[in-house]
Amino acid sequence: MKTKWTAAAAAAALTLGLAACSDPSVETSSAAPTAPAAWPDPTAKLDGVKLTIWAAQNSNTVPKQVIAGFQQATGAQVEVVTIPDPYEQGIQTKVATGDKPDLAFWQPTASMLTAINARTNLQPLTDAPWLSQLSPDLKDITGILDGTRYAALITSPAVEGVYYNKEVFAANGITGTPKNFDEMVEVGRKLKAKGVTPFFEMAGDKWATQWWVQVQLADAAKDGLWERINTGKEKFTDPTVVGAIKTYKSLIDEGLFNSDIKTAKFEDQGAALLSGKAAMAVQVNSFFGQLQATADTETLNKKIGFFPISPSGNVGTFIPDQSNALVAFRTGDAGREAAARQLLAYWMGPGYKDFVADRETVSLEPSVPSPAGVPQALLDVHAALPEAVGSMQALAVANPDLYLNLADMINGTMTPEKVAAATQDQFEQLAKAAGASGF
Amino acid sequence: MWFMAPAFAILLVFFFLPTVFNFVYAFTDWSGFKSSINPVGLENFTDLASNGTLFRSLRVTVVYAVLVAIFQNLFGFGLAVLLERDTLVNRVARVFFLIPVLMSALAVGYIFQALLKPTGGLNRLLGIDYAWLGDTTWTIVVVALIHAWKWMGLSMLIYLAGLKTISEDIVEAAHIDGASRWRTFWAVRFPLLAPAITFNVATALLGSMNGFDVAQATTGGGPARTTEILNIFIYRTFGQGLFAQATTMSLVLFLLVALMAFPVIYVLRKREEVL
Repeated sequence: MKTKWTAAAAAAALTLGLAACSDPSVETSSAAPTAPAAWPDPTAKLDGVKLTIWAAQNSNTVPKQVIAGFQQATGAQVEVVTIPDPYEQGIQTKVATGDKPDLAFWQPTASMLTAINARTNLQPLTDAPWLSQLSPDLKDITGILDGTRYAALITSPAVEGVYYNKEVFAANGITGTPKNFDEMVEVGRKLKAKGVTPFFEMAGDKWATQWWVQVQLADAAKDGLWERINTGKEKFTDPTVVGAIKTYKSLIDEGLFNSDIKTAKFEDQGAALLSGKAAMAVQVNSFFGQLQATADTETLNKKIGFFPISPSGNVGTFIPDQSNALVAFRTGDAGREAAARQLLAYWMGPGYKDFVADRETVSLEPSVPSPAGVPQALLDVHAALPEAVGSMQALAVANPDLYLNLADMINGTMTPEKVAAATQDQFEQLAKAAGASGF
Repeated sequence: MWFMAPAFAILLVFFFLPTVFNFVYAFTDWSGFKSSINPVGLENFTDLASNGTLFRSLRVTVVYAVLVAIFQNLFGFGLAVLLERDTLVNRVARVFFLIPVLMSALAVGYIFQALLKPTGGLNRLLGIDYAWLGDTTWTIVVVALIHAWKWMGLSMLIYLAGLKTISEDIVEAAHIDGASRWRTFWAVRFPLLAPAITFNVATALLGSMNGFDVAQATTGGGPARTTEILNIFIYRTFGQGLFAQATTMSLVLFLLVALMAFPVIYVLRKREEVL
């Protein structure tokens, strides 16, 4: 008799437990509002309201100035919590277990908005008051998933392109920057003949290996490559992508890259370009941030230049990252949700001038001039944006680890065909999990 | 019996339920991308099986575990024999070899990463330029050595305890029978260490199959994923929001550990039967 009761109690506890442990983000989905939320006045009083912003190690100082201004204007309290790297993984895991901030830095691409389940977890930013202020070229460049805006772009999104050492170019008789990808390779061969390392790559840290493939896909991306891949009409294993990977490998085999390509790290790449040990590096804005940490604006203006590149010309590939944008979470607390929207409205409205001045960054709003201290290379990067095409991260429905496979290829354990096949497999797996049709 | 109910309730909630969930979620499409969780049957298993990554990670995991088990036991055994006598020097030395066991595994990993990088301390000492953590064939051995280095003090302690419990009478009897020191050691004392060997081999093997920290801190699974043991792969998959797939892999790891544990422990226990 006793054992029967114990068994029954155990069964009951188990069922209860199972019910209690279901995905906590499910419940909030029923609360999805249909009408666009109201936008409070940016400086309305918010005494006693506490907001939390999640930021990464490289973005946690970005909001400092804005928060100080907002706290003073509204009386709200804003706390920035640093989530350790890998940032995106940390956030996804926390959100999956029901932990949410009011705002967070987040990569505003469709694939990453899908990854955080924007429809359920994020507040739509429809009709945000600052949208009319944004430069028309940049307004709808990113931050939108299925026609709904979920992310507020705060700084100029990153662009994949070529950072080069002006002094090395000049010393080796290269006047003017290459006009397309083939010309750039020719310049590389000329520099190699003169004993300079033409290109620097950092397969030790892996992540930048994908830029070389992506810039080669810029023209195809303009022709709808990622749409075709998103719908399964084209694959990574088809000639377009495999061709780009093969070209990358053949340039490495030709000896146009640094000899320590397998182990070189991100920091080594910056040091090599700044010292003139290498002439060029295909990179994104965070690379320039790394340079800014080691040299002042004057030195950088003198030494480092930027040009976008694609097979047919000087077209950049844009890849907004986590430090470029914020998302507002649906926390279930209407007051805090409104306050979070108010903070964004303040950030992009009355607070924007002080923000760009404090960060010495390019302004996205024509009515707010960029501060004088912005290095020329960053202005060039920003100027490349209106013409730029979307990267894999910006346009594909899922973001496979292309870079990991490429790093394996550089280490000699994968062929270009295998890189493409492994990337396609993972893309399909992620696309399926994300609920993309056709997978 | 009812006074035990609270204890069993806690056991149920904190031990049994998580294990059950580890099984249940492996058969669903739980992910970070959507809110609903639907059963999908064996799809996660077939997907993983058709994709070579799982088997590569499993192979790496087994190779890593075997290497760690060998190194850790060789080092631990050697140290125990060397430091067996209770002299002051030996006591101090034992403490020093036990310190890595108490250290954070991540700290150990980062320290070795700094020592072994191409511009690191070891290369400067030797005057060579070799990427210890960048070799697609040998880096796994280096990482296994680091793992074994960290835990060898524990193996040493257990072997020491084993050596100390061997009765003096038996050793003396062997001497009277005319056995040399060498012969006494291998024919008399070593077989009597069987229980210590069982424990040490099993814990080293199974512990390193669940390894993560040392490999993550030294190589992060590189170069070219040749040191990507299953837990690093699971961590990466979970980080992509593919929670169900990650759960499936941890279930596979659980089964693998169980499958290896029972035969290994059975064989080692067999050796003890003669005692």
